[in-house]
Amino acid sequence: MAKRVLIVDDAVFMRNMIRDIFSAGGFEVVGEAANGLEAVEKYKELRPDLTTMDIVMPFKSGIEATREIVRADPAAVVVMCSALGQESLVMEAIEAGASDFVVKPFKPEDVLAVVRKVLGEG
Amino acid sequence: MDLAKYLSLFVTEAGEHLGRIGAELVRLEQAARAGEPLDASVDELFRRAHSVKGMAASMEQDGIAEVAHGAEDLLGALRRRSEAPSPEMVDLLLAACDAMTGMVARAAAGEAPTADPALVARIAAVGAPLQAPPVAAPRPVEAAGAPDAAAAPVRPVEAMVAAPNGARHRVTVTVRVAEGCPVPAVRGFLVLKKLSGLGGVVEASPSVDELRAGRIPERRLRVVLETAAPREAIARALSQIADLAEAAIADAEPVAAPVRAREPEKVEGARTLRVRADRLDHFLDLVGELLLATQRIREVGKTLPDDHRPRLEDEVDRLHGTVKDLHDQVMAVRMTPVSLATDPLPRAARDLARRTGKQVEVEVRGQGIELDRGVLEEIADPLLHLLRNAVDHGIEAPHLRLLAGKSATGHVAVSARRDRDRVVLEMEDDGKGMDPEKLRRAAVARGALTEAAAQALTARECLLLACLPGVSTADAVTDVSGRGVGMDAVKRAVEDVGGALDLESTPGLGTKVILRLPLTVAVQPVLLVRVGDEVVGLPIAKVHGAAHVDLAALETSRGAPVLPHDGRLVPVHELSALLGFAPPRGGPRAVVVADGEGAPVGLAVDALLGQQEAVLKPVSGPLARVSGLSAVTVLGNGRPVFILDVQRLLAA
Repeated sequence: MAKRVLIVDDAVFMRNMIRDIFSAGGFEVVGEAANGLEAVEKYKELRPDLTTMDIVMPFKSGIEATREIVRADPAAVVVMCSALGQESLVMEAIEAGASDFVVKPFKPEDVLAVVRKVLGEG
Repeated sequence: MDLAKYLSLFVTEAGEHLGRIGAELVRLEQAARAGEPLDASVDELFRRAHSVKGMAASMEQDGIAEVAHGAEDLLGALRRRSEAPSPEMVDLLLAACDAMTGMVARAAAGEAPTADPALVARIAAVGAPLQAPPVAAPRPVEAAGAPDAAAAPVRPVEAMVAAPNGARHRVTVTVRVAEGCPVPAVRGFLVLKKLSGLGGVVEASPSVDELRAGRIPERRLRVVLETAAPREAIARALSQIADLAEAAIADAEPVAAPVRAREPEKVEGARTLRVRADRLDHFLDLVGELLLATQRIREVGKTLPDDHRPRLEDEVDRLHGTVKDLHDQVMAVRMTPVSLATDPLPRAARDLARRTGKQVEVEVRGQGIELDRGVLEEIADPLLHLLRNAVDHGIEAPHLRLLAGKSATGHVAVSARRDRDRVVLEMEDDGKGMDPEKLRRAAVARGALTEAAAQALTARECLLLACLPGVSTADAVTDVSGRGVGMDAVKRAVEDVGGALDLESTPGLGTKVILRLPLTVAVQPVLLVRVGDEVVGLPIAKVHGAAHVDLAALETSRGAPVLPHDGRLVPVHELSALLGFAPPRGGPRAVVVADGEGAPVGLAVDALLGQQEAVLKPVSGPLARVSGLSAVTVLGNGRPVFILDVQRLLAA
């Protein structure tokens, strides 16, 4: 069965791009969230196998959202979507419980390789 | 990936962000004047700039991403400091916003516009004072944030049961991050975090703090883990981490179960220490001694019988590797951003300009580039000197500039960049430039050069004549004198740290001074040569080449042999004569071509012994008064060797 993905990013543009990458990679995109607050709610509702998480977002940052998600579900798999220059934020996210990270600009095959590894499929 | 299908969405969404940024900036300025709180506003601006950057990078619109990145950095710094942007910053941010809006429109038409470098530089310059040196920012330590790490010493029951014999054991995990990973230190950090979830981290190299600082030499991480988890569990955890080129697990010594391990290193709370600079100097001295000691052991090894030698040599190689690592680490700690030397420049230029009735703006780029504190300290004053020259004698008065078709305000651009193992520091002005012919005539008039020697120089070499003491301070030749005030001192200072100075100039258009600086002062490559029974060293930075020649067969010019080198004739001096040694006994000879006074010279020696990394120490005591000695080093066999300063030797 296809793994279920929740995509969190405040930019529609990025959400579309990430959605296409996962759809083409055989995943099922079950939901999207545009900020950290929404991300936590959607996670609890959908319980996806994988969540991609932007870091800089309004209302609640990706780091805070990751912390809350992992606290609610220690088995949650959250992969951070970061940009170059955000190294310390990514490390903070890892401390908050993120499973792995990818760096923008994304190469579809790299993104899929990272999440397949994390899900134990790689 | 086919990016075209995302183009219209990119144009719409980025355009929306840019529109909001523009509006918010104006609102922010008004709010600042009214004394209202600004944090939320700055925060929003930062997020929007960040979004535009991410989208643009994903669309491979690097020009837009670059401008957005600059704006994001500036806003990020303001956000960290809870400061309102100055009116100048608002102007710049608005300009950046307009520029990006225009670029997005061009992107919509299928172009990939490049960023205006002047705009990017101005944003960076305006933000530079806000990018305070890395302060040990108190990190929020949230107990619930890193539960696994915090709970490391006591493992859950099931993990204990899972161990083969219920005992905790130590394993050494070594991983290498794949070449393709753009942020290897973050990946190393992730590995460390995952391992700490399986047990206690007894030792990590590099440490957590180093990883946080982005350091992971050779992309390798070695972790000693004390754990009750079976080896397969560790292997499984590693297999779920992407971008690892190698991963190995080996047994370390076992630990008796009931004994509490040493407090494991926790993956949290970066700590920073302030260390006095002289203590670091001392550190470096000791590391230098270690390097020398290693070389001496190697020399001793050469006398061993063949059956013992290879083993010793292997061990010495390993020791040398470790000491070299230690040296690199000490050097890394000593690295300091170029801003230490460039920060005072804009203010100094402003004062100088005001005094001389000129208008000058200084633009500094690459001030984050790092080099050894020792090099920087030596270079700070010369840099100020170069700036003074540029403003006093390069930049024209405003009315003259206007007559020459230039802007009334002169421009001095200072930039630093890394070029392999060097840092290139450039200072370029758009003033009146230097005239090589005038310098040529001045040098002859001051008796620094013969007419013939002067004529043999290229235009570029003539510019360097400004660095000759006799020429640079020649007050009779007012046109050129000013330019060269203290240029000889500047050149000397640069060369004393193992660097090189070069000049480029176009009359009427400006002058560029180029300093090529080593990253460190302490270890420099030297060429060892034998003169009679003595061995002396020449800094490789000043050596142009070397050749084995038959001196008797060389043509002579005014009694001295001349060597054809690089399309010109170089006068050859006997190094033994310059040093006051006994004359050579004859036999095969070698000539080293090195920087002389204004032009290269050849130095005849008995033999070339090879190149070596030498730990240079300044000569002290009575030796410091001997002209022509720049430093001393000790060879592996314990023999002290003097490093020569060819220019001073010739002048003596």
